[in-house]
Amino acid sequence: MPEDRDIAHGVPPIAVSSTSTLANRTGSWKYIRPIYQDMVAPCNAACPVGIDIEGYMNLLREGKVAEARDLLLRENPMPAVTGRVCDHPCQTHCNRAFFDDAVAIHAVERMLGDLEPEVRVPIPPRTRKEKVAVVGSGPAGLACAYPLARLGYAVTVFESDPEPGGALRYGIPEYRLPRNVLVREIERIRAQGVVIQCGVQVGKGTPWKQLQSYDAMFIATGARVSRPLALAGGEVADVRPGLDFLREVEGGERRTIGRRVVVVGGTDTAVDCARTALRLGAEPVVVCQGTRADLTANAEAVEEAIREGVRFEFKVWPVGVQTARHTEQEPPLEAIRTMYAEREERERLTGVECVRMTPGEADASGARRALPVQGTNFVIPADLMLTALGEEPDLAFLPPEVTRKDYTVIADEFGRNHPGVFAGGDITGQPRTVAHSLGSGKRAAIGIDRYLRERAGEKIADGDPAALRFGGTGNFSITRWRDDDPIRRQSPVNEVVPFEKLNMAHFASVPGKTDRHRSFEERRSSFAEANLGLTTNEALAEARRCFNCGVCNMCELCLIFCPDVAIKRHPSGHAFSLSYKYCKGCGVCVEECPRGAMTMTREGL
Amino acid sequence: MSQVVIKDKIPREELMASGHVACPGCGGTLAMRLVLKGLGPKTIVTLPACCWTIISGPFPQSALSVPLLHTAFETTAATASGVRAALDMQGDKDTTVLAWAGDGGTFDIGLQALSGAAERNEDILYVCYDNEAYMNTGIQRSSATPWGAWTTTTPVGTPKSHPKKDLIAILAAHRVPYAATATVAHPVDLVEKVQKAKATRGTKFIHVLAPCPPGWKTSDEETIELARMAVRSRVFPLYEVENGQRWRLTGDHPGDPVEPYIRKQGRFRHLTPDQIRVIQADVDQRWELLMRRVEYGA
Amino acid sequence: MKKVIMGNHAVSWGVRLSRAEVIAAYPITPQTQVVEELSEMCASGALNARFIKVEGEHSAMAACVGAASAGARTFTATSAQGLALMHEMLHWAGNARLPIVMADINRAMAPGWTVWTDQNDSLSQRDTGWLQFYCESNQEVLDTTVQAFKIAEIVDLPVMIVLDAFYLSHTYEPVDIPEQAEVDAFLPKRVARYKLDVNDPHSFGALAPPPVYMEMRLRQQEAMEQALKVVDEVDEEWGRRFGRRYGAVESYRTEGAELVLVVSSTITSTARYVVDQLREKGEKVGLVKARLFRPFPTEAMRRALAGVPHVAVLDRNISPGHCGIFAEEIRAALYDLADGRRPKIHGYIIGLGGRDVKPENIIDCIDRTRETAKSGKPMPREDVWVGVQP
Repeated sequence: MPEDRDIAHGVPPIAVSSTSTLANRTGSWKYIRPIYQDMVAPCNAACPVGIDIEGYMNLLREGKVAEARDLLLRENPMPAVTGRVCDHPCQTHCNRAFFDDAVAIHAVERMLGDLEPEVRVPIPPRTRKEKVAVVGSGPAGLACAYPLARLGYAVTVFESDPEPGGALRYGIPEYRLPRNVLVREIERIRAQGVVIQCGVQVGKGTPWKQLQSYDAMFIATGARVSRPLALAGGEVADVRPGLDFLREVEGGERRTIGRRVVVVGGTDTAVDCARTALRLGAEPVVVCQGTRADLTANAEAVEEAIREGVRFEFKVWPVGVQTARHTEQEPPLEAIRTMYAEREERERLTGVECVRMTPGEADASGARRALPVQGTNFVIPADLMLTALGEEPDLAFLPPEVTRKDYTVIADEFGRNHPGVFAGGDITGQPRTVAHSLGSGKRAAIGIDRYLRERAGEKIADGDPAALRFGGTGNFSITRWRDDDPIRRQSPVNEVVPFEKLNMAHFASVPGKTDRHRSFEERRSSFAEANLGLTTNEALAEARRCFNCGVCNMCELCLIFCPDVAIKRHPSGHAFSLSYKYCKGCGVCVEECPRGAMTMTREGL
Repeated sequence: MSQVVIKDKIPREELMASGHVACPGCGGTLAMRLVLKGLGPKTIVTLPACCWTIISGPFPQSALSVPLLHTAFETTAATASGVRAALDMQGDKDTTVLAWAGDGGTFDIGLQALSGAAERNEDILYVCYDNEAYMNTGIQRSSATPWGAWTTTTPVGTPKSHPKKDLIAILAAHRVPYAATATVAHPVDLVEKVQKAKATRGTKFIHVLAPCPPGWKTSDEETIELARMAVRSRVFPLYEVENGQRWRLTGDHPGDPVEPYIRKQGRFRHLTPDQIRVIQADVDQRWELLMRRVEYGA
Repeated sequence: MKKVIMGNHAVSWGVRLSRAEVIAAYPITPQTQVVEELSEMCASGALNARFIKVEGEHSAMAACVGAASAGARTFTATSAQGLALMHEMLHWAGNARLPIVMADINRAMAPGWTVWTDQNDSLSQRDTGWLQFYCESNQEVLDTTVQAFKIAEIVDLPVMIVLDAFYLSHTYEPVDIPEQAEVDAFLPKRVARYKLDVNDPHSFGALAPPPVYMEMRLRQQEAMEQALKVVDEVDEEWGRRFGRRYGAVESYRTEGAELVLVVSSTITSTARYVVDQLREKGEKVGLVKARLFRPFPTEAMRRALAGVPHVAVLDRNISPGHCGIFAEEIRAALYDLADGRRPKIHGYIIGLGGRDVKPENIIDCIDRTRETAKSGKPMPREDVWVGVQP
């Protein structure tokens, strides 16, 4: 440091420095400036439940497993269920699929759902005086009850069946969703203070007016009436709705069903029936009107079914049944009790008469309705025929003031069409998946919370409901509704970040992990879970594959690549501070951000 | 690790200050920042005439928080030798003397002093930040300018008709203990090489490709992407040479076509498809040569 | 300790006694014995220094700049072409105010190729900010070398010691070599005012824009002015300690002189002989030895020459298109003397390219001066070339 005595004529003897360059406000050069602007990952926007998937993936990457699970449980009360049975549109929309393989989100979610709770979560305090009734303990009902309880409401769920779970219990076979898993998830919901009363049939055994003491009501009774199939040959006891079959098996009945089972339809229920029958020792055949591509059933499940030994007959449709009064050529399966006591005394099914189908001319909508091909009739020998053409809700028991159209309830998220009465799940006109049901339950919970708060005189901003949805089109988020996001976001915009905005240079290709499965031999004779998911370590590795699209995860590439040292870690460690005093607006940070969490804006805006 | 986590491998200490007067998106500035991160505060820099003469700020400023000695254009390595000798006499073996020069000061006017220092195996680290022309004086060709490039002294009608000098081979011929290439797009590779060089006694040489938006006629934000493309396309492979004999690649070089890299840069705008094929052929040939060096040694 | 050594080794001994820490040099005739001897001294351990055997003189000075900037006592030696190659870095050392000491063995510039002495190499570096001492004897070379380090480090300016090729560099003379301890007492270890220091980091030599550049040059000029005093003080101290003094300017038998020769370097010895001969005959001829060329000792030169009617300046150099460089500088220095006190200056170009300067050549200069003085006519030209073919 030049001392004072070395200064003369205002300068030291040589050009020796005494200050840094910090006096130069080089930021004044720029006309555009970078900002940190978090966007929405496509998985979040695609999730019918409305889960901050990217958020929990990021927490997992940081090793914060408990925090990750908590974030997940904010939006989804039953991750162990959805991790197993959801079609995971999140993965279909995963940006990583454009790079190598989509992240196995379902397996990560399942891992988190299966974690034993470290501590018993205390029941949330009853901070609200209002009571809410939920009719139906399927996924929609439970998904509505859970957040309401967490918000401080007293919630009672009424269930007509002897056990809670609805379609989860009576529609999804155990090899896909082990009952201990379901029970634990329901316990998780009960642990929030939700009361579940089973064996209560609201609208039939218990009149609606008994629910008048509740401040709000959510109806989610599901679609439980199987669509009928009209066939030549008339009513035969051996032709039964597939859903009933599944219910009976769930009820513990392991009865002889005959060796030859024909399942009609391309639905998930059809595949579930076939695979269940297979496990009971039968040789199931699924007949479908269209091709494999036309099936509505989950493609993975179809693949699994085929590999387990289920036969599919595509472009075929039943036109009649064949029966006989006595047949003992095909002995009942060994070790299985007789299914019907009256068996010997009635007409028994011997075969299903089918016809080959072909796509017809396109109609006005472009759809090509399948038409039978004359003279192609043939018979598939059968002891049992199960129909799985889809289900419809039974709305007859609903109170008359609830608006309905055809088979569905017209529900408004904020309950505006009939104050205090909300509906969700399969009785509303939405896709009939577990995830959509969970999502609708959550939407209703938010609607009920809003309704009750407004009724209590709370001023609630009349915001755009799209702001509650991930990416504007995804499902509602409780976190967004409560505005208590534990993840710090910088100037977030509610837009989905496209793949093009990511910078793949910063990722190395790592193939995705696929679920482990039980062997086919084992599966054919057991209801043990077929899909074993990933190990915890594999799932954590999958979480690390997540791009964290659109959300800063403090990877620091912006900081490292900044030629102007204008980016520093915020002392909190959870954000960066960008010094516009020095930033020259080169845009390297935005260009290099691997996940599209930064953007350039015009200077002065 | 599927996501390349680099922050833990880059020292956090900042030895370069904001407010320096480099152009937006300057590769050479980022190179300095990263190299100093690799070396730490016990570093003395010798700096000839080059962009950094200006970047570091006018008297009484200095953008660096390590000692910095400005020196004449052709003297970087010689001046560094002198600093080293003085430190040796003072018993200071820990401080790294960093001779820091641009391509003009290294490939051209400073090559003699560099050769001298390398032959004497002076215990210095020489880093050339290569922006492929005399940029500080306004984009004149140097012997590091690639074939076909426009500069103000190789106008479009007569673009540069000679290939870029193979400087690492020259250094390898001096059998210096360590020579390497690096780019600003590969910070971990760069910092690791710097740290390796710091731990090695004798003359170390690192050749850093440092894209220059005004000189290359590229967008400011593309600096990193360009350096990355240069490596991917094998225009500027990442490798290191020990004792002039053991050649080793240090990065991924998938061999992307050179054309997108060339087409991104305004200085190559005049090139015809045939001329780009000439560049591709040259890159392929140089790559084969490098592979032979990797396989068989010097 | 008396030793009979060549001029070049006198340089080496001076450097050794000064405990230079870093030496960077490149060989060139007639300087080679300087670096050879220093190499031997370093090899034997007699001198604990890092000797960088650079690949050229430009790098030699650059390395000196680096070493001196890092606080080391630094030395180099060169000659002619080497010095010219260093030119840029001489400015660097000067403007950076680095106390580097250099020996330049005066050698004429090529082409045609020559290794023999004249002063054009060093005088061409006049404006680079270096002190320049022109030495007459090997003893003076050694003494000036040690003095040079002390002066340089006091005023933060580089110093060039100049000696004639062969006439001094390769000529053996008895030299009194002082005791190391006494030299150490005279010249302690260098303490740099500014240096490269990782514990106190600064940049040196950054862009100096118009509002500050000129002030820095002014400070350099003030240091040069200070150096005039320091040269005398150091010389006086040297005299006290070692019994030998040289002065910036030396007057020899100038009492009542009607004609005074101004000479430098080894011509001085020959001129002393001529003056002694003429004084024997009763002629009023004296001699002034110009030892310090930069900073130019204007006052001392005025004191030595004011009132002398005729001054003959013998220049072993030429500024082509003008005249001898010492003559030019002396004319300028004396111009402000009052009429009647201002001598008539007669310039002679002599001994270029190592041509021997014999007593008769000096007498020729004296005769020509007297002739011109008697005729009252102006001189045909300012630079009278002596000893050349007609």
